[in-house]
Amino acid sequence: MNVIEVNKLTKYYGKAKGIDGVSFAVDEGEIFGFIGPNGAGKSTTIRLFLSLIYPTSGEAKIFGKDCIKYGPEIRRDIGYLPSEVFYYEGMKVIDLLNYSASFYDKDCSRRIAELADIMELDLKRKINDLSYGNKKKVGIVQGLLHQPKLIVLDEPTSGLDPLIQRKFFDLIRDENARGATVFFSSHILGEVQKMCNRVAIIKDGGIINIQDIKTLQKDNYKRIVVEGADLDEGRFNLDGVTNLERENGAIRFYYKGDINKLMRLISESEVSDVTIEEPTLEEIFMHYYE
Amino acid sequence: MNIFFRELRANFKSLIIWCVIIVMFVAVGFAKFSAYEGNPELLAVLDGVPPAMLAAFNLNAFNLTTITGFYGVMFTYFALILSIAAVMWGSDIITKEERDKTVEFALTLPVRRSQVITGKLFAVLVNCIVLLLFTAAAVLLNALQYQRDNQFYQFVAISMLALFLLQMVFLAIGIFLGCAMKSYKRASSVALAILLGTYFISIVAGLHKNLDFLKYLSPFKYFDAAALLHDSSISSVYLVLTVVIVAACLVGAYMTYGRRDLYI
Repeated sequence: MNVIEVNKLTKYYGKAKGIDGVSFAVDEGEIFGFIGPNGAGKSTTIRLFLSLIYPTSGEAKIFGKDCIKYGPEIRRDIGYLPSEVFYYEGMKVIDLLNYSASFYDKDCSRRIAELADIMELDLKRKINDLSYGNKKKVGIVQGLLHQPKLIVLDEPTSGLDPLIQRKFFDLIRDENARGATVFFSSHILGEVQKMCNRVAIIKDGGIINIQDIKTLQKDNYKRIVVEGADLDEGRFNLDGVTNLERENGAIRFYYKGDINKLMRLISESEVSDVTIEEPTLEEIFMHYYE
Repeated sequence: MNIFFRELRANFKSLIIWCVIIVMFVAVGFAKFSAYEGNPELLAVLDGVPPAMLAAFNLNAFNLTTITGFYGVMFTYFALILSIAAVMWGSDIITKEERDKTVEFALTLPVRRSQVITGKLFAVLVNCIVLLLFTAAAVLLNALQYQRDNQFYQFVAISMLALFLLQMVFLAIGIFLGCAMKSYKRASSVALAILLGTYFISIVAGLHKNLDFLKYLSPFKYFDAAALLHDSSISSVYLVLTVVIVAACLVGAYMTYGRRDLYI
């Protein structure tokens, strides 16, 4: 069964394009990555799911029901973590969480305590006194306290330190194992690769590609810099090498293909330094998807 | 229900502040009256003031040397204060979610937007009623030190009803603007502009016979103190107009808020 079904979804803000003709489907139990640079339309798509905004045309269905017509009903089973969390400033964390829980027809108090414990969140503090990262933790607890069937994450890791990030990812994996579907929007390729089964890539308001994460990894470009006294750049002109250039004795290029071939080639040369990096998402878009 | 209670708690401070303002205003006003009570010189002074000026400050219809007359003049200011509170509360309670960026929390909960409006509407309604009760209590307590008659109590009763209706009109206008206006920054200033504009119209309408038709445009004129005192009732035309304005604003509020994009 498809938990999310998006069909030619289009949203214009006046004349400015949010997204145009976006279609994809997310299967039950999947962790689905949604990746793209800032301003590509990720948040717009999510806000359409939650009927905070209305589509210009097209439709989105969640649990097989239209997002607009059945908004409140659908949202009972959605847990949403926005990229930036804003809560009622005057409230205590626990009061806010209880307030949020009061909208669901179940007792969430135990789950709140559990989640707060995992995320190391002090429930007695006031929202205004919290740091950005701690507010984000409140958001995580608030999004998960009702054990939602669909978890929507919009840039979830910004502001979290690495330790808490790991706990957070474990938590999401647990929820997924319990049966929750996860929609994971991010501009950080690495975290999406770690978590997701499939990934949709969005740019300028349109879906460029939907791929299995394994294929994406196989397709993955590396950015390589080789430095050495008298290197011949022609030697590195392998299949799968692009944008080869020489600059101050360093040779830079992108490489896609069997990494062993490249390693052998490098080991045959006299080099002073080698860097192999993940390209940034922008670079992937520039060199691969154009 | 949870929205209602949360909003009551969130607005409690603002309610207290407005209650303090109105109680102090009443106390200061009545303290001034001690100089006017039974003072014939005051009447002589007022005789020398141009009639248009008197009309503008609503001083021509009342005998300022009696408590009833003095209260009649103060009524205009009560009307202004309570309406300002109502219109600000009304627009603010809706727009603050967008202003404070809490929409992404408050409206992604499993609630219909209409439920959100209803919860908030009742919370401000309670605030308006509490503020009105404080006003009435302050008036009655402060009046104790002066000579009162039956007419005074009747006048207070009918004017409190009038104040309530006026609050409802501006509360509805505030809620409507908060719901309908895309720019939350502008909603409360437009609300205040409408309030002051209609107040100005109510003054202008009293200045000349040819401008009399303007009275329908200003809710302040629907509940004119002099008319309330002399007729001890509210004209049914104005009652109908009040109901129509409130209903139209609320229907408009629910319709526009249900359909528009929320800004984050």
